[in-house]
Amino acid sequence: MGFFSRAIVDLAYFMNTSDAYQRKRRFFYDLLENERYPYKKYFDILMMSLIFLSVVILIAEVKSDVPKDIQLFNTYVISIIFFIEYLLRFWISSSITEIIINSSEHAIMLDREFSLSRALFKITKVKLNFVFSVRAIIDLLAILPFFHELRLLRLFVLFRVFKLFRYTNSFKIFASVLSTKKFEFLMLLMFASIVVSVSSVLIYVMEGNNPHSPIETLFEAVYWSIVTISTVGYGDITPATSEGRVVAMFVITAGIAVLAFTTSIIVSALTEKLDEIKEVKTIEDIRKLKRFYLICGYEHVAKEVAKKLQSSNMDIIVLDEDPHRTANAKRDGLVALNYDPGHAKSYKKIGIDLKTQVKAVLCLRESDVENVYTTLTVRSINKDVNIISLLMDDINRKKLNFAGVNEILYPKGLVGMIAKELIGRPVAFEAIHALRNDYFGVDVEEILVDNRMSQNFVYVSDLKNSRFRIILLGIYKKDKNRFFFNPIDSTILEGGDYLLIIGNSAFIREFEKYLHKKTRI
Amino acid sequence: MRKQTALIFGYNDYALEIARNITDSCDDIYLFSLHSEQDILNNKSDFEIKSFDFSDKWDFITENVNFEHSIVYCVLEDNAENIFLTISLRSSFPDLNMIALSNNKETASKLEMAGANKVIPYIQTTAEMIAEMMEKPMVKEVFHKILFESGELKISKVRINNSNDYLGKTLSDIDWDRKYGVIVLSLVEEDMHSEFIYSSKIKHHTISEGDVFIIVGYENDIKEFEKIMGGRCDVDWRHWSR
Repeated sequence: MGFFSRAIVDLAYFMNTSDAYQRKRRFFYDLLENERYPYKKYFDILMMSLIFLSVVILIAEVKSDVPKDIQLFNTYVISIIFFIEYLLRFWISSSITEIIINSSEHAIMLDREFSLSRALFKITKVKLNFVFSVRAIIDLLAILPFFHELRLLRLFVLFRVFKLFRYTNSFKIFASVLSTKKFEFLMLLMFASIVVSVSSVLIYVMEGNNPHSPIETLFEAVYWSIVTISTVGYGDITPATSEGRVVAMFVITAGIAVLAFTTSIIVSALTEKLDEIKEVKTIEDIRKLKRFYLICGYEHVAKEVAKKLQSSNMDIIVLDEDPHRTANAKRDGLVALNYDPGHAKSYKKIGIDLKTQVKAVLCLRESDVENVYTTLTVRSINKDVNIISLLMDDINRKKLNFAGVNEILYPKGLVGMIAKELIGRPVAFEAIHALRNDYFGVDVEEILVDNRMSQNFVYVSDLKNSRFRIILLGIYKKDKNRFFFNPIDSTILEGGDYLLIIGNSAFIREFEKYLHKKTRI
Repeated sequence: MRKQTALIFGYNDYALEIARNITDSCDDIYLFSLHSEQDILNNKSDFEIKSFDFSDKWDFITENVNFEHSIVYCVLEDNAENIFLTISLRSSFPDLNMIALSNNKETASKLEMAGANKVIPYIQTTAEMIAEMMEKPMVKEVFHKILFESGELKISKVRINNSNDYLGKTLSDIDWDRKYGVIVLSLVEEDMHSEFIYSSKIKHHTISEGDVFIIVGYENDIKEFEKIMGGRCDVDWRHWSR
């Protein structure tokens, strides 16, 4: 290896491992390409407003004199900003250092001499790929008005409008929808161009020499043919002979077919993609959520749980691999996605951050196999997230525990316990069932005693809960991990304790407000 | 607690769970299966399995069951069958105490119409517990202790008898929890309409004979309270079905 290529490889290694360099690269990548980067939005808005500004200036220039400094701003500042953006995109589109390192490692592995020229060739190829991509060409053309000496080039400002595609998502979606119908559009284009070329040649041959006909040149014939086939029909050029009119009738009929075909292609493409578009929107919304419950599997229990959680205004996301159940969840007014909760890929695709966004994962499929699978998947992504699972058959309890479930609910066992309650102490079951179901607006709540509250209310007797028509059922002392039922007046309140209270929901809210508001006497 | 006879219709995991849980409080437990031959062959539980069908031949019940001390669980897995079973039992035995299992609200109301004294809406209850676990973990813990674990906290009904010092006094004037260590949750009036203790209507209610208090407390305190106020109110099956 020559000294020069060795230096290049060393430099590549150095830059690839340099923290500062990578951080900068990462920053620009986030700013330009990463949809999830919070500040990209502002960058996009800035670029869009520059585009609109230059278009407004272009329009203003037509009829009136625009002040010199604004013109300078338009031609130099905006263009330079765009040029810098172009260079940055060129930079981050692919990594030169990585290509050099890869090919040098490749060479070492194969025990071959590292060839700098081959690496350079690769780099050129990758970079040219970027330069010739449609987006890059539009970007480049948008910079061209910089050379404002050429009058025609002014119009390239309009290419800046095309740049808008980069900064808005809906354009991208629309383009991707239309691109699914590439083949149909190609067919249509072929059909239309055949009709146009045949009819324009025909009309030119028939009327080109006719003194009464306005068609003089082939260009006029093509112009007439396109105006007619598009069903626009200006009427500035009309055929004068019967033969010409026959051609016109043919073109008009074909024109209707072309128009109908175009419309139907676009509409069918949109309807086919409608679900996907909606899904993209839901996923975007989910990414914005701060805290939510993730329900995996939407069956009977899940339905009831969702209803309960919804009534306390919690955000819920439902994942289910079965389209029917997903549709059911949507019908019940939930945010549901047809993704398999047992696949790690699903979470990546949706962009759910289990650590920060998810309050708890509820595995509510009525099948232990599925729940174990989902639990293992979630656990493999995040160690700490709270997982609650249904258990359908008691012999699988160990497996669920082993998979890493935090809490297990076993409905069959519950039925057994309730059955026992009902012959032993039915009152308890009745009373608690009523409390749980907001019977006559009565609710049970737990209130966390924070440090401020514990300073304002030293003893239980200070709470004055009966004034608010609230029953203090008891206090849960965190440090002792014990529940004190009906605590005596002199019990001291400490930060971290929980008050369990029963009362009318409205009274409870009042009481909570009072607890938080009261200042030290 | 009086020993009872339990009849469980349906042979499945629910039936077995129920049977396992009530062995302590019931003398005799009979499991009835609709598809008896297979189930009896495969029976691995300690309980005896009898067979039944929908032909209204309830000889076994007529001969062996004392209605006052028995309880029937209808836990067939098929909703329609379960409702049919309930209605055929009710039509033959008006005094039978029946508890039925239901997996949704619609079936629950149908079962009640068919004559079940009590319906266990197990899906709803499971869901309630999960939701509670999420939003109010402490509440769930305490409720679970009261309900299912043999903790010291109990919920009980106490009927006010005529030899009582509190007759004629206003309910909210008395500091029950300080005086007796029990918390009065709600009050059931003569017409069986229950009201929560701090509701505006009950605030000025004067205590009269026949009122039923629903109280929470430790077992000993509840016993004391019962002695003072009157008697324990036993389960009144006829009033269960709402």
